[in-house]
Amino acid sequence: MAENTRIVKNATCTFCGCVCDDMELTVDLDKKVITKAKNACVLGRAWFAEHQIDDRPVAMIDGKEAPLEEAIEEAAQVLVNAKFPITYGLSDTTCEAQKQAVAISDIIRGTIDTTTSVCHGPSGLAFQDIGESTSTLGEVKNRADLVIYWGGNPAESHPRHFRYSVTPKGMFIPNGKKDRTVVMIDVRKTPSAPVADILIQVKPGKDFELLWALRALVKGRKVDPQIQVMTGVPLETMTDLVERMKNCRFGVLFFGMGLTMTRGRHFNSGALLALATDLNEFTHFVAKPVRGHGNVTGADNVVSWQTGYPFGVNFSRGFPRFNPGEFTTVDTLTRGDADAALIIASDPASNFPKAAIEHLKKIPVISLDTKETSTSKLSHVAFATSTYGINTAGTVYRMDDVPIPLRPAFESPYPGDEEILFAIKKRVHELILSKCGATGATGEARVASKLML
Amino acid sequence: MSLELSMHTRPQVPLEAELLGPDKTLGLDSKAVSGLQIQHGNEQVTVGDFFKVKGKGEGAIHLEGDLARVKLLGSGMTTGKLHIHGDVGEHLGVGMSGGEITVDGNAGDWVGPEMAGGRIVIKGNAKHLAGSAYRGSAAGMLGGEIFIHGHAKNEIGHGMRNGLIVIGGNAGDFTGVNMLAGTIVVLGEMGIRSGAGMKRGSIITMNPAEMLPTFSYDCIYHPVYLRLLFRALRTQGFNISDAKLTGKYQRWSGDSVELNKGEILVFTP
Repeated sequence: MAENTRIVKNATCTFCGCVCDDMELTVDLDKKVITKAKNACVLGRAWFAEHQIDDRPVAMIDGKEAPLEEAIEEAAQVLVNAKFPITYGLSDTTCEAQKQAVAISDIIRGTIDTTTSVCHGPSGLAFQDIGESTSTLGEVKNRADLVIYWGGNPAESHPRHFRYSVTPKGMFIPNGKKDRTVVMIDVRKTPSAPVADILIQVKPGKDFELLWALRALVKGRKVDPQIQVMTGVPLETMTDLVERMKNCRFGVLFFGMGLTMTRGRHFNSGALLALATDLNEFTHFVAKPVRGHGNVTGADNVVSWQTGYPFGVNFSRGFPRFNPGEFTTVDTLTRGDADAALIIASDPASNFPKAAIEHLKKIPVISLDTKETSTSKLSHVAFATSTYGINTAGTVYRMDDVPIPLRPAFESPYPGDEEILFAIKKRVHELILSKCGATGATGEARVASKLML
Repeated sequence: MSLELSMHTRPQVPLEAELLGPDKTLGLDSKAVSGLQIQHGNEQVTVGDFFKVKGKGEGAIHLEGDLARVKLLGSGMTTGKLHIHGDVGEHLGVGMSGGEITVDGNAGDWVGPEMAGGRIVIKGNAKHLAGSAYRGSAAGMLGGEIFIHGHAKNEIGHGMRNGLIVIGGNAGDFTGVNMLAGTIVVLGEMGIRSGAGMKRGSIITMNPAEMLPTFSYDCIYHPVYLRLLFRALRTQGFNISDAKLTGKYQRWSGDSVELNKGEILVFTP
């Protein structure tokens, strides 16, 4: 063991939406690396091992190293002069940084969107349409005797999710796994299948039909046995599942992107939420999305409590407007609407549709990221930042909307996202006030200008 | 003389022009119309910054140019005529209650959302959510007519409460989803999951359609009202053969997870 070693207990892993907060990190402070991450899963261990200190300039303008102050000034000028600036990303940073990003979008009358729009955005729409019967993962651990995973593969995507839902002994589940029935519904047999007591394979793209038939059975309606031809699931299997759902003490439906991002999208999520609602006529049933990025749930929460809507929010007129499909980032880029972009802790240039990436190349992009990415390479202004949870403290939300504090392992020479965004916000605010005058400013700038007077 | 607006500068970012409607420009001369404020991205501009205006507001407007980035035209329209000679952007005729909008080209998403009356005619294609409810809203189109001669995409008539939507070409998935009442006619192919969650209302299609498991087959018959409806649609330029006018239709009722008082009629040659 190195001489200058530090042990960080109860540290938080921010790789996935599980946000496990029982890590014990061994840190070599001389080399600034995490040498051991006790309790971490395979994904968590890679996360902690990968995030070392890179040798990158803290700020670059058009690919050339620039002083931080100059880069902040340039970023602020770009944002203030844009007519339809967009802010995107936010799922891999702290709530404190997300808050600054919302404030910037408000001041510059831009559009703010998060990676939710390309993962559980449809669920966001469904929550608005149907509503959400919810619980914490702690309640699931202590109470759930029927656990259904739909369209997800937690064994590979969220390896420690089972410690809440499958294996643990809970207050009312004294024998752990033996007291639970686990059902996996998916289009294929995934590595998660071995934990399932019941495995239901649905035909690809037929989740909605299966959910709709289950809803009909729950409501006591007749369903044609030909449903098997359509969905690949026999009516007897559905009837058995419905009986189990109606007769359990506490049921939970966990759903993943296999449901939300297949044909039907928000209607698929909506059908599942409606099924949970229907089941509450008989027993207690909840439905929770299994979220991906470390703080994507925080992004939804922060954008919601600051604007009233979770993602795809536009401030062009000085007040928030929500319309996914119109104000979500893939759409604003594909249509060529956006004329500047602020990308925070995300890499759309590597995973967006081609038309969106092509437009991103045409407009000035400001990026904040811990690593060099395809997005940072095409950025007009690129900031290198420290990693949340490893170098930066703050708050993140677990996938069940429980806020969890971060305990950083070692210091980074790079500033955090919040620090840079706060500096951009301050400068943008000054520029807007000088552009519009105190009475002409809107949103947060207007409120702040009155306070200043 | 009608009001004629010709676009001289293409907007770089979306232009929101809800003031451009025949009723809102009634009695205004070209100078007054040029001075009307519209929204270009996050800044306010005037109509004159983008359009050359001729004539006087006497209840009819003609718009020319590439209007694919112009949104909210004819919002809240109560009377008069709005003719768009080309393509148009999203949110056309939002909540309109009277008058007529004609688009010679294609339209964007959200044609006539939550409209209560009047008529919208799209001679080209429309995108998603024509005649539907806005997100979070309980009911979509309350009345009036939307005629789309080309194709349309998903969620046509989402939450529709009354009125008529006719698609001359194909419609996407979830046609008439959560429909409360009203009529949707699809003369081409219809996508999947039509009428999901519908309470009442009629969806009529000329081609075989996949039914949800919550719809049940009733009978095959000839509904008399279809003959009257189709005759009226012929006068609007829709090509409906005599066989369809007098033919038989399968009746499916649903959606059984809701009231089960809706119907899907499928033409049976």
